[in-house]
Amino acid sequence: MRSLACLALAIAGLSLAGLGADAQEEVPPPKVSWSFAGPFGTFDRAAAQRGFQIYEEVCSRCHSMNLLHYGDLGPDGPGGGIGYSEAQVKAFASTKQVTDGPNDAGEMFQRPGRPSDKFVAPFPNEKAARAALNGALPPDQSLIIKARPDGPDYVYGILTGYKDPPPPGVKITEGRYYNEYFPGHQIAMPPPLAGNDVTYADGTKATLDQEAKDIVTFLTWASEPTMEVRKYTGVKVIVFLVFMTGLLFGAKRKIWADVH
Amino acid sequence: MAAPAQQNKVVRWIDHRLPVFTFMQHELHDYPTPKNLSYWWNFGSLAGIMLVIMIVSGIFLAMQYTPHVDYAFDSVERIMRDVNYGWLMRYIHMNGASFFFIVVYIHLFRGLYYGSYKAPRELLWMLGVVILLLMMATAFMGYVLPWGQMSFWGATVITNLFSAIPVIGHSIVEWLWGGFAVGNPTLNRFFSLHYLLPFVIVAVVGLHLMALHQHGSNNPLGIDRKGPQDSIPFHPYYTVKDMFGLGVFLIIFSIFVFYLPNLLGDPLNYEPANPLQTPPEIVPEWYFLPFYAMLRSTPNILFIPAKLAGVIAMFASIFILFFLPWIDGSKVRSARFRPIYKWVSWLLIIDCLVLGYVGAHRPEGWYVVVGRAATFYYFFHFFLMWVLGKVERPLPLPTSISAAVTAKGGGRMAPAGSRPMEKP
Amino acid sequence: MADTAQPKPMGAHTSDSATRRDFLTIAAAAVAGIGAAVTVWPFIDSMNAARDTLAAGAPVDIDISHIQPGQQIVVLWRSRPIFIMNRNQDELKKLQSSNDVSLLRDPDSEVLQQPEYAKNWHRSIKPETLVLVGICTHLGCIPGFNPAPGGDLGADWPGGYFCPCHGSRYDLAGRVFSGVPAPFNLPVPPYRFVSDTMVRIGENPEGATFDFNSIVQV
Repeated sequence: MRSLACLALAIAGLSLAGLGADAQEEVPPPKVSWSFAGPFGTFDRAAAQRGFQIYEEVCSRCHSMNLLHYGDLGPDGPGGGIGYSEAQVKAFASTKQVTDGPNDAGEMFQRPGRPSDKFVAPFPNEKAARAALNGALPPDQSLIIKARPDGPDYVYGILTGYKDPPPPGVKITEGRYYNEYFPGHQIAMPPPLAGNDVTYADGTKATLDQEAKDIVTFLTWASEPTMEVRKYTGVKVIVFLVFMTGLLFGAKRKIWADVH
Repeated sequence: MAAPAQQNKVVRWIDHRLPVFTFMQHELHDYPTPKNLSYWWNFGSLAGIMLVIMIVSGIFLAMQYTPHVDYAFDSVERIMRDVNYGWLMRYIHMNGASFFFIVVYIHLFRGLYYGSYKAPRELLWMLGVVILLLMMATAFMGYVLPWGQMSFWGATVITNLFSAIPVIGHSIVEWLWGGFAVGNPTLNRFFSLHYLLPFVIVAVVGLHLMALHQHGSNNPLGIDRKGPQDSIPFHPYYTVKDMFGLGVFLIIFSIFVFYLPNLLGDPLNYEPANPLQTPPEIVPEWYFLPFYAMLRSTPNILFIPAKLAGVIAMFASIFILFFLPWIDGSKVRSARFRPIYKWVSWLLIIDCLVLGYVGAHRPEGWYVVVGRAATFYYFFHFFLMWVLGKVERPLPLPTSISAAVTAKGGGRMAPAGSRPMEKP
Repeated sequence: MADTAQPKPMGAHTSDSATRRDFLTIAAAAVAGIGAAVTVWPFIDSMNAARDTLAAGAPVDIDISHIQPGQQIVVLWRSRPIFIMNRNQDELKKLQSSNDVSLLRDPDSEVLQQPEYAKNWHRSIKPETLVLVGICTHLGCIPGFNPAPGGDLGADWPGGYFCPCHGSRYDLAGRVFSGVPAPFNLPVPPYRFVSDTMVRIGENPEGATFDFNSIVQV
């Protein structure tokens, strides 16, 4: 009876956790089944590479990715990257112009990128971004999945949740767009994807649903590249702990046998 | 186990000059402990181990962290991505804080239920409350360090509380901040203090254990040990039981660290701090939610503005714990033999959970009403304890621990006239 | 308060369960100990160079086309100063002739302070271009560049490097003079020519293997 009460308490306590941002007028995002979900989830690397292609060709026009280095995509990257080879990573990095310096004349200059460089941002600073985008600031994408409750479902919802025309009776401010899952429904970002926005390198059909899932996979990897290592290490640790605790339980019972 | 200190020439040489080995033999090995302690008594050692885990993980994190507003957030992400096993140390430290509080809250409620705060353990209890206060300060400052949105705005809200103090409040706040708002000076000094306070906690834990060893542990029956038949040596009985409890605890802890590392946290803290953008909801970590609820629930009371009343209520809720040994005058320790208090004590736990739930929501509508009722009940509970201490008729106590243990494993019978507590 | 408890002594059970308890206890303690030891490794490993630090130690490409004969530039590789000098014909002639053993401590570069492809009279791949790690092998100061003969350093100063901290001297191939505090020649890092005007510090030429960690003294 006592232990039941404690279990109830524990559940009550745990349900307090993760209360964070409470839903007011928010519509919960659609539930998608992700390859990386659950204790044994992994990143679908083909999807992550397609998602990276979308980031490169579409999103990076406005959104920075400040916490990633080009080399992170390759085998030396955290968690082993998303499957690109070192040569591919070097080649990709060298297509980017990176600011370096000052040189001996005291000037900053541009040079081709290296794997150790951070992703080049589309705008040099916040004010430049706002000036170019009517006052809106596109958030950096490095952690966007972790920075939103139900991150993967939420971002998928945003990308697929635009409605044009908006539902009847809803008035949209100038410069905003109706989005089903964005809190307040009025998002400053114009719909970035419509389907067939890129031609996938691996030939997959680029429907809106496919593109949204791929970019979310890439972004989830970007926000925590070591996720697979974490889960895999967890299996080893917990199996060991269960074994050790079992032994200790046996030892405890034996030692206490003469007291009971 | 062999008798102390005769074993080894080196051991004897050291012990003769600095009696560490005799000390350990006496305090950790032979130390007599009631034989009937339940698993509720595991949480003290668990708390000590969590303190060690937090200090070790914290020291290694501090090797990689930069306490400057322009670098702090990125340095934490560097730990997560580039430092070998950095993600592991960060998640251990982050979830360790939550688990440290879980363990300590359970440890505290154990004390409330079994009367462990009563004579002769009043100082032991008060030192424990000091540890709780130090933990809360440490955790608050630690949460600021990653310099996320919640770090910054939580710091702003809580430091602004001190402006409620009449006359000198504003000067105190600017002194705390080191400037006109939470900023780099604030972050730097929080890092310094966050590194310092855990070692102050270690010192107070040392005093806490000294006080404990003076009279030994309480036990589920709440009656004193009468003789050697009531106790068993700490080693091997409680060492192995503590180790087993640690194993179970580590399994649960590992599930969070490896599979649910962000469940207890706020996603918004993964956004860098923006002093020009307030988040829609500013919420502290879960272990502060009950106090946050009290803070926001008070109305204007007579001449005291609501803000100041909230601050007073919040601090009073902890300070009242110091006086508990004198509030509750019951001669019987354990709630097992206090039929009314047994159920009343559950009310406090439920009240804290309700307060926590309220604290996670904006103070609007029903949340205000429930929050005020729950805050009122919290203080009313101690009044109830005072009343019960005077009027409750306890059940008869067993004659001794061993008598209760041998009579059907923790039985509850005894003739009248047994004395529950030695007079101090 | 010195109670000593008296549970039944261990041997009171049958010897069978006593050995079982001992085995179980020892096994439990051993497994717990292994767990504790294994837990130490991630913390120690976290102090090793992180991924971004290692990446920043990657090879760097330097354009040497603008270095005039007789001039040197200093660049950073793995946080260390690298001297890249363009030796003129006079300096090269002097190097070829000055293998005077009494002046130099290690004229033939016997001690492992350079890759195989730099174990020659000019201690480099191409005679004109000298690449050295600019850290004095005595106690780590950065030697000054004094290519002009004579002058303040004495009439018989042939030109080279002079370390201001304790007076160690090196010639224009980085070889250390006898009678100075420094024990070894200035190290030569792994490097190769990507083109005639581009040197890559930190990478060996095709087919060569040289581990910079194997040198005796940086």
